[in-house]
Amino acid sequence: MRKAWLIALVVGLVLVLASCGAKEDKSGSKNDEGGAEVKVYQFATDATYPPMESMDKETIVGFDIDFLAAVMEEAGLEYEIKNIGWDALLESVKTGSEFDGGISSITISEERKQTYDFSIPYFESTNMILVKEGSDIKNAQDLKGKKVAVQGATTGDKLMTGIMGEGNNDLKRFESNALALLEMESNGVDAVVADNAIIQEYTRNNPDKKFVTIYDRENFESEYYGIAFPKGSELKAKLDPAIKTVLESDKYKEMYKKWTQSEADMAGLLSAQ
Amino acid sequence: MRLEFRFDIISDYFPLFMRGTLYTLGISLSGIILGSILGLIIGFGNMSKRWYLRWPMQGYIHLFRGTPLFLQILIVHFGVVVMVIGKTDAIVAAITALALNAAAYTAEIYRAGIQSIDRGQSEAAYSLGMTKSKVMRYVVLPQAIKRMIPAFGNEFIVLIKDSSLVAVIAAPELMYWAKSANAQYTRIWEPYLAAAAIYLVLTYSLHRLLIYLERKM
Repeated sequence: MRKAWLIALVVGLVLVLASCGAKEDKSGSKNDEGGAEVKVYQFATDATYPPMESMDKETIVGFDIDFLAAVMEEAGLEYEIKNIGWDALLESVKTGSEFDGGISSITISEERKQTYDFSIPYFESTNMILVKEGSDIKNAQDLKGKKVAVQGATTGDKLMTGIMGEGNNDLKRFESNALALLEMESNGVDAVVADNAIIQEYTRNNPDKKFVTIYDRENFESEYYGIAFPKGSELKAKLDPAIKTVLESDKYKEMYKKWTQSEADMAGLLSAQ
Repeated sequence: MRLEFRFDIISDYFPLFMRGTLYTLGISLSGIILGSILGLIIGFGNMSKRWYLRWPMQGYIHLFRGTPLFLQILIVHFGVVVMVIGKTDAIVAAITALALNAAAYTAEIYRAGIQSIDRGQSEAAYSLGMTKSKVMRYVVLPQAIKRMIPAFGNEFIVLIKDSSLVAVIAAPELMYWAKSANAQYTRIWEPYLAAAAIYLVLTYSLHRLLIYLERKM
């Protein structure tokens, strides 16, 4: 009897593994009707950043995903997008061997420009502070001496490191904004600093939590997201005109409204081009 | 692949890596000590002839050996600690999770060590009129502890390495600062290789210490 159980277990496991393996039959290129090879561009993302990019079961969804779809359609290119995580994204887009680009709410910065080529800006964002109702925190400078949670490696992390000082244990860096927000719900910190789209999505989904949001235009400047390419990529020249067309279309405003539930303010974005 | 190693990143973060290493040591040692004490209680409970002592202890061992430590850390941090003290505390949660987890493994080490001593020895001691606790103290344990040391060494080395998982709850230990350095410079190799080297120094020192102990006994 024991043996029969064991065999059943092993056979079951093998079947499960086999069915998982069967799904992965996609490769880097595919044939069109003429039989010629069409390049399928590979994009990487870190789908832990709703509403910009996140997982809905097994599919990646979000503003960036819809935006990339519109841009690639405009440019007439085939592409695939994979969720590989932030660290892997930065590393693999840098070398460019596996992925041709990364779209993941990546803020264009002078520092990053040394390592990557960026598309023209496609999204305006600013960091925002989330505090409890009745908190005495009114702006970013008030966060000195308080406990603050951020997602590590984000611009919010960078700004708060600048304000609170490097090596400050009161600045807690988490793997994701979800964990940082959970830390605040659990009374571990006084504030969370993250991109406005993220904070607003969170407060919309949790109206009962009695949190308030603070804009601080003085300490947190506007930043712009771009698609990251490996240095010297030919893709930038192909996508920039397509991005411009999408930005000027109504499609952009529609997806902006769909994912952020607010109207797109194009003035800042278009002047940053 | 271009290989350029920026030592300035490591020297930049060196003080933080050192501070992180102290936290790693503190968290790991506390986890080892508390886990070994708790494990002793659970191990003896598990060997008890009374079912109402044995069953809960067996359940405990199965629960903590059978679920990922990573999940235990998150549950302890956002659940257990918040329920007890009303807010999160990464250090408390880190030590608690590591100790609870280590207790399950050390309980089994105690049991294996004690049960490995031949029954004839305790029977002989009983026949000399020794009490149960005296048999344990003077006959079984001195031999059993010597046999447990290699297994404990293994467990402690695993625990030091596993303590890197608590970076997920932002406990400011070595791995946390390695991740921070990685975040600031968007470079993987310098911070992670430096952290790996420090972990290796920690685990190798512990290994030497245990070998020394084993020889002494």
